[in-house]
Amino acid sequence: MANDKTSMQLIARGILSENPIFKLALSMCPAVGISTTVINGLMLGVAVLFVQVFSSVTISLFKNRIHPRIRIPTYTLTIATWVTVIDLALAAYLPDAYAKMGIFVKLIVAFAIITMRLEMFACKESPNDSFWDGLGMGLGFLVGMVVIGFVRELLGSGAILGYDVLGFKPLLFFILPCAGFFVVGLMMAFFNWIELAYKQAKGKKQ
Amino acid sequence: MKDILTIVLRLTITCIMAATVMGSAFIITNKAKKHNEHVNEQKVRYSLLGYSTAKPIPGNMALHEVYRYIVTDKESQSIGYLLPGKEGFFFLTLDMEGKVIDNKPVPIEESAVLEKDLRDKAVQEIAGTGKGVTFADQTIVVTDNGKRVAYLLDGKFTGFKTFIGVMLAVDPKFTIVGLEILEHEEDPGLGAEIERDYFRNQFKGKTFEMLKDLDVVKEPLPDEYYQALEGNVEAADAAKILAKYGDRDIYALTGATISSRYVNTGVKGIIKKFAYRLNILDAALAERKIEVAF
Repeated sequence: MANDKTSMQLIARGILSENPIFKLALSMCPAVGISTTVINGLMLGVAVLFVQVFSSVTISLFKNRIHPRIRIPTYTLTIATWVTVIDLALAAYLPDAYAKMGIFVKLIVAFAIITMRLEMFACKESPNDSFWDGLGMGLGFLVGMVVIGFVRELLGSGAILGYDVLGFKPLLFFILPCAGFFVVGLMMAFFNWIELAYKQAKGKKQ
Repeated sequence: MKDILTIVLRLTITCIMAATVMGSAFIITNKAKKHNEHVNEQKVRYSLLGYSTAKPIPGNMALHEVYRYIVTDKESQSIGYLLPGKEGFFFLTLDMEGKVIDNKPVPIEESAVLEKDLRDKAVQEIAGTGKGVTFADQTIVVTDNGKRVAYLLDGKFTGFKTFIGVMLAVDPKFTIVGLEILEHEEDPGLGAEIERDYFRNQFKGKTFEMLKDLDVVKEPLPDEYYQALEGNVEAADAAKILAKYGDRDIYALTGATISSRYVNTGVKGIIKKFAYRLNILDAALAERKIEVAF
């Protein structure tokens, strides 16, 4: 199965048509637990982006050497290795960022989206395509997290990026993890509605 | 059978590869990480002394680390201090009455003394084989222009659940300047409140005299005192409120009287023991006319 998409199409697919959060609905638990503010969402998004890209490329490079029966343990090991390397590198060279991101980085080992991308894409395609696919998926996750974080921060604590903009807290409920599911659900509906409307408009033109 | 063997072999190779990558990453980053930890430690120490980015550290302020060891020789026991001298370090051993037994220079670099393993090894070599050397605790003497301005004490005592590790800053008269809870496993929401400002800051400004019979009282914390301790009021007002409540006992945490009591007893114990030991050490240094860096 050769990949017939260009790099830009692969990135666009990750962000729009196969967005990990709004379309594939993967890695919901950690995503919902952490996306209480824009900054938290962004931090986790960046960390996932790096791990996804590195793991995709690694698996793609070694795809012919991985025994099919032990591919899942191999994926997990690869992800764990990259998570550890990134964790160590951050702790050593960016201690200030690590103080904020440290806890998120370790969480990534349990992310379904990364394993799923390795299984679906990286183990079949070339390293080059895997890189763009990983980048697209990572960016899609990052965008999703930032959007959810934006809504929850604005509604939950009346602030954006930590700055108080509303002066009051409209719905404290949105800070709680369960409210994350409501936000994700509403967002999914919203994105599906836009897609439908877009397709209908396109259909009418033709 | 053959399948199992291939799988085992492949998994082993994968694991070894992963371990190599992680291991090399660890080796490459370890030095920078250690450095960061050290910088962070330094930051905690200075913040305990009341310095921050808003109030810069005076340029001629220096921290001198003093390590206390317990030296056992068959039946007798003595106390050893690893002290920074004017030039290089030396190891001073005192007997239980405070008399100097020995004083030897220790050939150790200033950077190596911060590493526990290297330090312990150097001390063991100086004490001689056959003697047991156990690290007890470390104290930091803070000097400004060569004059002692404060001591930073590391300490550990039992809490309600497990040990509570603290760092205390006291001035030369043993009045508490600051208290930082470094580690604990108290219950979240109850005993874990010991790390909050409104509890920790109650210890600030308690003098050595007051510490002798400082107690924990089960009374509600007055609101204005709480606001001042948390730093929610203007500096001038806060000083007034803190002065008003300065001679009170420690207000127990709601639902965590035992944790509060343990911290109170622990802090008192650390300072009392330190004051006693420092007197003996200073007397010994004066008697032998030994010059130290602080």
